[in-house]
Amino acid sequence: MRRGLGVNLALAGGLAFLAVVALLPFWWVISSSIKATNEIVSTTPTMIPHSFTLEHFAKLLTSSDYPRFLINSLAVSAASMAATVVLAVLSGYAFFRLRFAGRDFLYRAILLAYAFPAIVVLVPLYGMMSAARLIDNLFALVIVNVTFAVPFAIWMMRAFLAAVPLEIEEAARLDGASRLTILWRIIVPLIAPGIASVAIFAFISSWTEYLFASVLIQSDANKTIPVGLAGIIGQYQVDWGLMLAGATITTLPVVVLFFFIGRYFVAGLTAGAIK
Amino acid sequence: MPRRSQRRAARREAIFAWTLVAPVILWLGATLVYPLVSSLALSVENVRIIGSAGRFVGLDNYLSILSASAFWLALARSVVWVVGNAVVQTVLAMAAALILEQTFPGVRVARTWIVVTWIVPTIVIVIVWRWLLSTSGGMINPLLIGLGVINEPVGFFSTATSAMTSLVLINSWRWFPFIAVMLLAGLQRIPADLYEAAAIDGASRFARFRRITLPLLEPALFVLTVIGTLLSFNVFDIVWLITGGGPADATTTLPILIYRTAFKGYRLSEAAAMSVVAMLLLMGLAMLAVRTLAPREEGG
Repeated sequence: MRRGLGVNLALAGGLAFLAVVALLPFWWVISSSIKATNEIVSTTPTMIPHSFTLEHFAKLLTSSDYPRFLINSLAVSAASMAATVVLAVLSGYAFFRLRFAGRDFLYRAILLAYAFPAIVVLVPLYGMMSAARLIDNLFALVIVNVTFAVPFAIWMMRAFLAAVPLEIEEAARLDGASRLTILWRIIVPLIAPGIASVAIFAFISSWTEYLFASVLIQSDANKTIPVGLAGIIGQYQVDWGLMLAGATITTLPVVVLFFFIGRYFVAGLTAGAIK
Repeated sequence: MPRRSQRRAARREAIFAWTLVAPVILWLGATLVYPLVSSLALSVENVRIIGSAGRFVGLDNYLSILSASAFWLALARSVVWVVGNAVVQTVLAMAAALILEQTFPGVRVARTWIVVTWIVPTIVIVIVWRWLLSTSGGMINPLLIGLGVINEPVGFFSTATSAMTSLVLINSWRWFPFIAVMLLAGLQRIPADLYEAAAIDGASRFARFRRITLPLLEPALFVLTVIGTLLSFNVFDIVWLITGGGPADATTTLPILIYRTAFKGYRLSEAAAMSVVAMLLLMGLAMLAVRTLAPREEGG
């Protein structure tokens, strides 16, 4: 439909507003992470840095525990991502391509788990982990992160699996391929974008997880970024330069991942939303 | 004969399917269903710290939390929190979705990167807003003074109302793009000829929005509101890391109260009882919403 000048102006205004709301806070933080401390806390803030220094980054990477938090977070997120992808692909294939008794009930129960209040199981899970001697162990975080990522991940697989024509599977079956071979050799390559979007979702939700990490991990050596950085904020006077550098580096991995597969991720979100 | 082999094939398919779903079922059973049941067990005992033995006390924990004002106040704050978030997020998301539905140069990039506030880790969001809203170097105070909205720097987390309002705005800022993307998917399903026919009949833009867009979007809006309510009820980290539930408990929502009772007050059984009540309330609310408010599907 054609748009009049007024509508175009309103659209441009709306877009500008969206861009400011979504991006400006990040610009402020990232650009300020290279400012000298006195410019960061100055009462007349600057949009564009007047000073340039890498001292906050140097301090963060050499004289704080941040590098260790970063390694822990990368390990936990990578492992959670791998486990979530495997579980979601296997069960997604069963839910959306196969028939079996109890399928609809199980699928609904899993969807319900997505909106499940994590706080409700925090106390008993802490007890279980302590009985299993997994307190202060990164494996405990992987176990919990997968639990809370996998229901949504299965839901995201739906649209991608539905798009694979049944005939392809039937043809392979006639050629004598086993079910597992079909899944691995034919389905998996065809739903690669779906797998990518599930992977990024699992990585992000694990990367950001704070609640469980704050009670299941106790020593500094095993802290992940959210808990570690929160600990640094809590200490005495906030060192904003250090925090802004930490925020910048913490944002980087997800933004890089998103740069490459964000398109599929948003497609996965919207495709799933269509019935 | 063919029927028998068909039945056998169906059984083999079912066995294969169960093998594929078994890992997820076992995983969620062990980490959600079992803890849920042990939460119930814990709530009728008097365990204070994890690992210590408890004694059966019946409904004592329930009686004591329900008779103390802390629980009811936290519940009321949770209601304010959930409703505030639902309103702000839905309005912002609807506006963003209507903008992103248009075609303009760069629309595909915009539709992808709009979710940037949602992919950024919570701890970063906490740092971003604690700094931007702080009185030392924060950008927002000078900005508002420059615009003439306020005369002198305000402490955004210093009074009960301003702390709650700031948190609702921050959380909504984080979540509205996610909802916008979902709504956009719903908008794109509305056939363009409906709008064209209405335009030919002389319907204004606003009339088209009210008579076509809103009714057709209702099912999507409903689902998003129910899920959004549950998800925003659960929000813990943003509140905990920005205000810690303060000032003077003004932002102590139920998740904060449960966390504090369990891990700062060392009254695990009481925390478990609160969790059980919270979950019953949420489930009841969700079921009630689905039963009474769900829009009817018309024709598919």
